[in-house]
Amino acid sequence: MTIGSILTDMVKIFIKYWDVFVLQGIMYTLLLAAIAVLCGTVIGALLAFGRMSRFKVLRAIIIAFVEVMRGTPALLQLYVGYFLVPMLIPDMNTMPSQLMAFICVAVALTFNTAAYVSEIIRSGIEAVDKGQTEAARSLGLNNSTTMVSIVLPQAVKNILPALGNEFITDIKQTSLASTFFVGELMTSYKTVVGITYNSLSTLFVIGVLYFIMNLILSKGLKFAEKRMKAHA
Amino acid sequence: MLEIKNIYKYFGSHQVLKGISTEIEHGQVVSVIGASGSGKSTLLRCMNLLEHPTFGEVWMEGKLLTPVDPYLHFDVIRASKTYSKLISEGMSDDDAIAKIKKEDLLHEKYNAEGKKYRALMKKIYDENHIDINIARQKMGMVFQQFNLFNNKSVIENIMLAPVKIGIAEYRAAVRRNNRIRLSNVFRKDKKPLIGLPDDPSAVKLKAEENARALLKRIGLSDTANQYPSTLSGGQKQRIAIARALAMNPDVMLFDEPTSALDPEMVGEVLDLINDLVKSGMTCVIVTHEMGFAREVSDRVLFIDGGVIAEQGTPEQLFNNPQNPRAAEFLSKVLR
Ligand SMILES: Nc1ncnc2c1ncn2[C@@H]1O[C@H](COP(=O)(O)OP(=O)(O)O)[C@@H](O)[C@H]1O
Ligand SMILES: [Mg+2]
Repeated sequence: MTIGSILTDMVKIFIKYWDVFVLQGIMYTLLLAAIAVLCGTVIGALLAFGRMSRFKVLRAIIIAFVEVMRGTPALLQLYVGYFLVPMLIPDMNTMPSQLMAFICVAVALTFNTAAYVSEIIRSGIEAVDKGQTEAARSLGLNNSTTMVSIVLPQAVKNILPALGNEFITDIKQTSLASTFFVGELMTSYKTVVGITYNSLSTLFVIGVLYFIMNLILSKGLKFAEKRMKAHA
Repeated sequence: MLEIKNIYKYFGSHQVLKGISTEIEHGQVVSVIGASGSGKSTLLRCMNLLEHPTFGEVWMEGKLLTPVDPYLHFDVIRASKTYSKLISEGMSDDDAIAKIKKEDLLHEKYNAEGKKYRALMKKIYDENHIDINIARQKMGMVFQQFNLFNNKSVIENIMLAPVKIGIAEYRAAVRRNNRIRLSNVFRKDKKPLIGLPDDPSAVKLKAEENARALLKRIGLSDTANQYPSTLSGGQKQRIAIARALAMNPDVMLFDEPTSALDPEMVGEVLDLINDLVKSGMTCVIVTHEMGFAREVSDRVLFIDGGVIAEQGTPEQLFNNPQNPRAAEFLSKVLR
C-alpha cells in the first residue's frame, strides 16, 4: 500500500459517499456541537453566576458538579446521558431510536460543555481588574449595575475567544457520539467502512473533514477577535 | 461630617488597623501619612466601606454606614446577658464593661445575649442606618491606579454614575406613585402623589452638560470621546477626579493619587486637588507628597502600628514630631 493508493482511495471514497459524509456526518456534527455550545453557554452562565452568588449550598453544589464533569471521561458522561435521560422522560421511548440517542447525547454534551463554559465565564469575569468594580461601587452604583455596565462588557472580551475554542473542542468531542450511532461524522465513517472495508482511507477522509471544519472555525475566530480588539 | 469610631480591620489573623477614631469636619483637609503597608489605604477604604471594618462604626453626616458595634454603646453592653451575669457576680459597672470590651465577649454570640440586647441593636441600626450605595454617592474616591472604566469613553466615564443613578431614582419614584395610585383606589382620603425627579432624557442631558463643564474645568475638553487607554497617567487621574466630582460629593477620598504617575505629571494632578481644596471641598488625602500635605492640610495623621501614632497641624507634625516613629519616618521622607 502506497501513499498514492491511499490518496486515490480517499478521493474515490469521498466522491462515492460524499452525501453520507457531508449531508449527514458534517451536518449532525455541527448541529450537535452547536446545540452543546449554545445551550451549554446558557447553562454555564447560570452556573457561573450561581457559583459567584452568596448562597453557600448552591455554590457547593455547582463546584461539585463542575469538578465531577471535568474529572470524568466525556464518553462515560454520554453513556450516563444515554441511559439516564430516557429514564427521566419515559415518553422518549416512543421516539425513533436514532432521534432518542441524538437527544440523549446532545443533553450529555450540553452539560459537559456547561461545566467547562461556567469556568470560562467565571475566570473571564474574575480576570477583569478589581479596580473597575471598586471604582463603580465607590460612585454609588449597586452591584448589578456595576456587573452589567462595567464588568460584563469587559469580561466578554476574555470569554468569547475561549468560547470559540470550546466550540472546536465540542466538534471533536461529538465523535464520541458515534458509539450510539447518532449520525455525526464518526458514525459516517462506521457506515462507510461497513461497505468498503477500507478503514485507513475512510479515517483519513473524515480526518480531513474534521480538520477543515476546525480550521475554518479557528480562522473565523481569530478574525473576529482581531475586529473586537480593534473596536476596544 | 465623616466620623470613624474605633475602627479595627483584620485580614485573617493579620491585624492592620487596631482602633482608629477621628472626625473629618466639613471643609477640612486631612492628610494621612505613614510607611507603606501601615494601613493607610485600608483606613481610607474603610471610610466608604470598600473594606468592611472588623469592629467599629463609620458615620457620615449623622448616618451610620456600618453595622452597629455594641462596644460603642454602653446601653447596648448593659442590655446584654453577659453584662448581667458579670454584675450578678459582683463586678462593678466599669469593670464589667471594660472586661466585655477587652475580651470581646459580645460579637460571637449575638443571639445568646437576649431579646433586650438584640432589640436595642436593631433600634440603633434602624434609626441611623443609611444604604451604603446612597452614602457612597456623596463620597468621591480617587485611586492610585485611576481605575477609569476601560470600556467607556472619557465622557461616558464621567456621565455613567449620574445617569444610572438618576434613572434609577426616576424609576423608583414612578413605581412609588403607582403604588400610591393603587392604594388610593381603596381610600377615602386620597394620598397625594410624590413629585417626580428628572426623567431619563433630562437626566442624560444634565449629566452630559455637567460632564462637559467638568472636562472644561480640568482642561481636557478635547479628550471627551477618547478611550482611557489613549491617555497619559496625568490625564487619566484628572478625569478620575472629574468622574468623582460628577456626583457632587460632600467629601473626596484620595488614595495616593500621584504615586502611579511619571514625575512630570504629578504637578497637574496636585494642582487640580489644590483647586478643589481652595473651593472648600472636604478631603482626606493619603499621600507621600509631604510638601503638598504640608501646604494643603488642616490636619495630618501619622499611621503606625495600626493606630494614629500622632496627629496635628502640618507645622506641629512636620517641624516638631513628638512620636519617635513619626520623627524617624519624616526624617527619611523629607531628606
Ligand atoms: N485585601 C487584603 N487582604 C489581605 N491583606 C491585605 C489586604 N489589603 C491590605 N492588606 C494588608 O494590609 C496591610 C496594609 O495595607 P495598605 O492599607 O494597603 O497599606 P498602605 O496603603 O499604608 O501601604 C498590608 O500588610 C497589606 O498586605
Ligand atoms: Mg496604599
